[in-house]
Amino acid sequence: MSHAKRSRAGERGRRIRRLAGAATLAVLLPLVAGAAEHITPTVVLRKQADVIRSTLPDATHFFLKTVQIGRRDLSAIEQTADFKPEDPRVKFYYGQNGSGSLVGVVLFPQVNTQHGPFEVGLTLGPDGTIRDVAPTKATVETKPWVEKAVGTGFLDDFRGLSAGQQPDRARKALRSADIGDMPTFAGEELAEAVEHGLALYQVLYAGSASGSAN
Amino acid sequence: MSGIYSLRDADRSVKLAAVLFMLVLGYAYIFAFFMVKQYAGLTPADVATTYVPRKIEASSLPQRSSSTTQALDLSAMKQEHHRVDTQLLIQDSHIHIMIYAMIAALQTLVILGLGWSAGFRDLVILLAFGSGSLDFAGQWLMKAGIGGFAWLTIASGWLMTLVYVVVLIGTLRAVFGNKTKRDAAAGA
Repeated sequence: MSHAKRSRAGERGRRIRRLAGAATLAVLLPLVAGAAEHITPTVVLRKQADVIRSTLPDATHFFLKTVQIGRRDLSAIEQTADFKPEDPRVKFYYGQNGSGSLVGVVLFPQVNTQHGPFEVGLTLGPDGTIRDVAPTKATVETKPWVEKAVGTGFLDDFRGLSAGQQPDRARKALRSADIGDMPTFAGEELAEAVEHGLALYQVLYAGSASGSAN
Repeated sequence: MSGIYSLRDADRSVKLAAVLFMLVLGYAYIFAFFMVKQYAGLTPADVATTYVPRKIEASSLPQRSSSTTQALDLSAMKQEHHRVDTQLLIQDSHIHIMIYAMIAALQTLVILGLGWSAGFRDLVILLAFGSGSLDFAGQWLMKAGIGGFAWLTIASGWLMTLVYVVVLIGTLRAVFGNKTKRDAAAGA
């Protein structure tokens, strides 16, 4: 092969390598840039829409009521459940049957801990008593704890409770199950989320003029 | 132009370990990208929504609560945007800053063998350790309520990218590039 031919082949090889390098960079740059801001992802145990649909089976129409908390109600919530909501907006999902009667209300209170958030889907009937409690959000770390706690069946003991009533029976069932410290901790957090949810329901939904209009 | 050792002249096992470390790190970054895209978002607005707390200041609230009601289509209902609260950010920080430091230290082991000038070598090492720290500095500044620092977290991601790509290219050139003059002389 002549020197000129070898030189042209070498130049072509360098150009191909440069193009391959540029293409690799174009793929890698956005991928790796997006990999920063590392976060602990939450695990969705059940989708909120699925909880609403399954716990309000008689509902034909669904509505979202968003309450912007005022000073008076914030104070009432703090007195009722000894907690301060982190979000000034609280969402209530409710369903009506074909004749326009209220079938039930669902909200998703969340307790934040150093192990991540614990969220429950709390469904209340038209009479304001708990119809169903379903964990909806945990983390990779806490999911097995939540599953173990739920496995004790203690969430069933929340059924029939209304705002102002302490979930003593559920807590007693959880503590007597002997499932270990962290699953018990997870169960306690779920119970706390239920208590927060009941307070929010009582003050912002059942206690409000717009709430009773539903 | 010398480091602590020369990756180009190192034993084949050392070269293999360096290349595989960089490639597998890139492999992991691909999935980290999808995780971040799903849970935090890639724009400054999405990142700020993930970290800036929604505080209730009683003094800024109206006296009475107000509400709005709208019809809901359950099939079109979206999940809430993932939010990292202070408690979770403490956990994230204590794990991830440590892992960032370990990755930067391992990258440094590779950098030391790339034959770069002392100044360039130190700059890349500084950026390798600094980018991860700036990532979480941005997250904590957002947690303090300064949403504008979303750009710091995003920029630190680009900085981390730059470090990774520079070290990857340096590693591939050292392992698969032309032989050193010393090798060429020995071969002759």
